[in-house]
Amino acid sequence: MRITCPFCGERELSEFSYLGDAKPVRPAADAGEEAVYDYVYLRDNVAGVMAENWYHGGGCRAWLEVTRNTLTHEISAVEPAAGAGARQVAK
Amino acid sequence: MAEFSWEVRSPLDRALVAGPYGVRGDAGVSLTEIRNFDLVQVMARRGMAGDMAKAAKARLGVAAPDAPKAVQSSDATLIWSGPDQFFVLSRGGKHTTETLAQTFASFASLSDQSHARVLISISGAKARTMLAKLSSIDLHPDAFAIGAAAATSMDHTSVTLWRGGDKSDGQAVFNVLVFATFAVSLWHTVLDSAAEYGVAIGHSEELA
Repeated sequence: MRITCPFCGERELSEFSYLGDAKPVRPAADAGEEAVYDYVYLRDNVAGVMAENWYHGGGCRAWLEVTRNTLTHEISAVEPAAGAGARQVAK
Repeated sequence: MAEFSWEVRSPLDRALVAGPYGVRGDAGVSLTEIRNFDLVQVMARRGMAGDMAKAAKARLGVAAPDAPKAVQSSDATLIWSGPDQFFVLSRGGKHTTETLAQTFASFASLSDQSHARVLISISGAKARTMLAKLSSIDLHPDAFAIGAAAATSMDHTSVTLWRGGDKSDGQAVFNVLVFATFAVSLWHTVLDSAAEYGVAIGHSEELA
């Protein structure tokens, strides 16, 4: 599998590490125990297209949001994750 | 208070043995460690990449690279090291953290990497063939021209790789910046990969 880093171009898998589902959002401080439990522990086991966080640690050290089909490994989009590169946040 | 006298030594001080290595005859690969350089990493603060780029142009005379490239100014090389960040490589104390801070203090964070990295310059007729064993980057002249750069990994070790100006005999020069503590490990891997082509090992204080 190869990932096309928006900063570096196409690179082999070994330069990247996988964090997991990019969708969970940290709940508000007063959201309650159930919402926090869901955010910390519960994950969908997606068979199909999902958004994932990947880290290009062996390259430019940017966090990326990769849209990948877990059945075929087809990657349809790679975007800088929020905070990947100071300029991305400023937009 | 006790007086300390620190002797500055290359992390490759023991591993590097100048002279021929591997197959005898004409060396296909030339490995030169560049010593005593000044290296500063410049990283834009949030939302200030534009200001950093302008400051770099005013101070160094060339635009800071905003893509994987190495740009040569009259007395420094600016090498892309990630989004909104780059290295300033020079020698002779012209561009140190102290002097660059005056230019970049409001827009960027500076980190002195002079003694934190090892710089290895690789050339020779078999340099590309040897590097192909270690790197997945396409180093063909059409794909990796002079000034091309990459933040990548070799032998599971993060490196900054860029192509410098050709030597006078037309041979391509590939520069590798590696973390000091990983330098000996990578050095041995490079030697193993290059041995079959014959290696000429040396060190220099001249930036390639």
